[in-house]
Amino acid sequence: MKIKGNYKFKADQQTVWDLFNSQESLARNLPGCESLLETEPGKYDAVVTIGVAGIKGTYEGKVELAEPDPPNFYRLVGEGGGKPGFVKGEAAIKFSTDGQNTVVDYNADVQIGGLIAGVGQRMLGGISKMMLGQFFKKMAKELKS
Amino acid sequence: MKPATFDYILPQNVEEVIELLEQHEDDAKILAGGQSLIPLMNFRLARPKILIDINKIPSLSEIKEEGDQLLIGALTRENEAMNSALVMEHCPVFSKAISKIGHSTIRNRGTVGGSVVHCDPSAELPVVSRVLNAQMRVIGTEGERIIEAEDFFVTYLTSALEPSEILLEVRLPKLEKGCGWSFVEISRRAGDFAIVAVAVVLMTDKKGVCTEVRIALGGVDDRPIRAEEAENYLVGKVADETVFESAAKLATEDLDPESDYHASGEYRQHMAEVLVVKGLKEALVRTKGDL
Repeated sequence: MKIKGNYKFKADQQTVWDLFNSQESLARNLPGCESLLETEPGKYDAVVTIGVAGIKGTYEGKVELAEPDPPNFYRLVGEGGGKPGFVKGEAAIKFSTDGQNTVVDYNADVQIGGLIAGVGQRMLGGISKMMLGQFFKKMAKELKS
Repeated sequence: MKPATFDYILPQNVEEVIELLEQHEDDAKILAGGQSLIPLMNFRLARPKILIDINKIPSLSEIKEEGDQLLIGALTRENEAMNSALVMEHCPVFSKAISKIGHSTIRNRGTVGGSVVHCDPSAELPVVSRVLNAQMRVIGTEGERIIEAEDFFVTYLTSALEPSEILLEVRLPKLEKGCGWSFVEISRRAGDFAIVAVAVVLMTDKKGVCTEVRIALGGVDDRPIRAEEAENYLVGKVADETVFESAAKLATEDLDPESDYHASGEYRQHMAEVLVVKGLKEALVRTKGDL
């Protein structure tokens, strides 16, 4: 499943880069993130609860911010599993400026397997996009305050 | 496949249900017909700690007339609503939409309220609720309130209901005499979830000019949507295939449906356009009393 898009932040590129590299900001704003612990620089152990309506699952996994090229690019690599299934994927995150705003482009390829894929596939793409939207909105809000 | 452990409660009236919902909030789920909830529980995707079975509350399964509205109790079985003389007379498009839900055995158990609150973006009843401008009467600890269909369907599997609220009835404004309507959908096999579904309500005057148009689409967004631009475009125009085709373009050109293993987003968008034309044509024929 491929998820692509971009989001604009009203701040300079370095500020946005710092925000997207801050463990606290990521932990606060990732939807359903219960814990995010840095095990070594750029590598995290994560526990995330994802749920829509009554369908909830807790996933444990590892996330890595790889190939960092500050303040322009990093690759988010992650995999995790839980009772409802597993999630594995990576996303290229590009930071650039359009003069006024910092544009964050994301291009993700995510594989989802197990029960949730068999039963929920019809809605997974949409739900992932929705959660990503929530994430960016919360990050933008944090930047404002 | 068996569900995870849960407690089961069988309340005798709505007041008890509200009390239980207030007490348990997200840990509790209401069991109506169980046609979506039980499979999810059996797969262990849904793990409610408490099931509140409302099947012993008869007041929730009545179909009544009140002024220019039909009131369909939330617990009304889909087949019962589909075959109701009142529904067939005043909101035949609602009957038609139900006929596309799953199979007869599913509709024998599945309830009108259950399908509406489940908010599956491809399900038939949310789409037809939008085209009919249905209202949802709900009750909770704060008392009763009415939610318009436009505000009720929030996103994937999420309604505007608060955790302590229960849907009491779906109120359908009756269609006027001579009003055309249609419900068309495409799915891989009969009984599958729709890939795209379209519902239309159409009124024309004696000269064939559209006076009122409502078009609702399912399966193309995170909730059922109305094609307002296309509706406004058609009002005041003589109904024919050419304007229907332009309206269908307006209704679908800005859509960005998700792809999944049933259909690509592009295919959904294309089929939405095809189905809007088909739905409008079918509705037009009905305004002339030919169907």
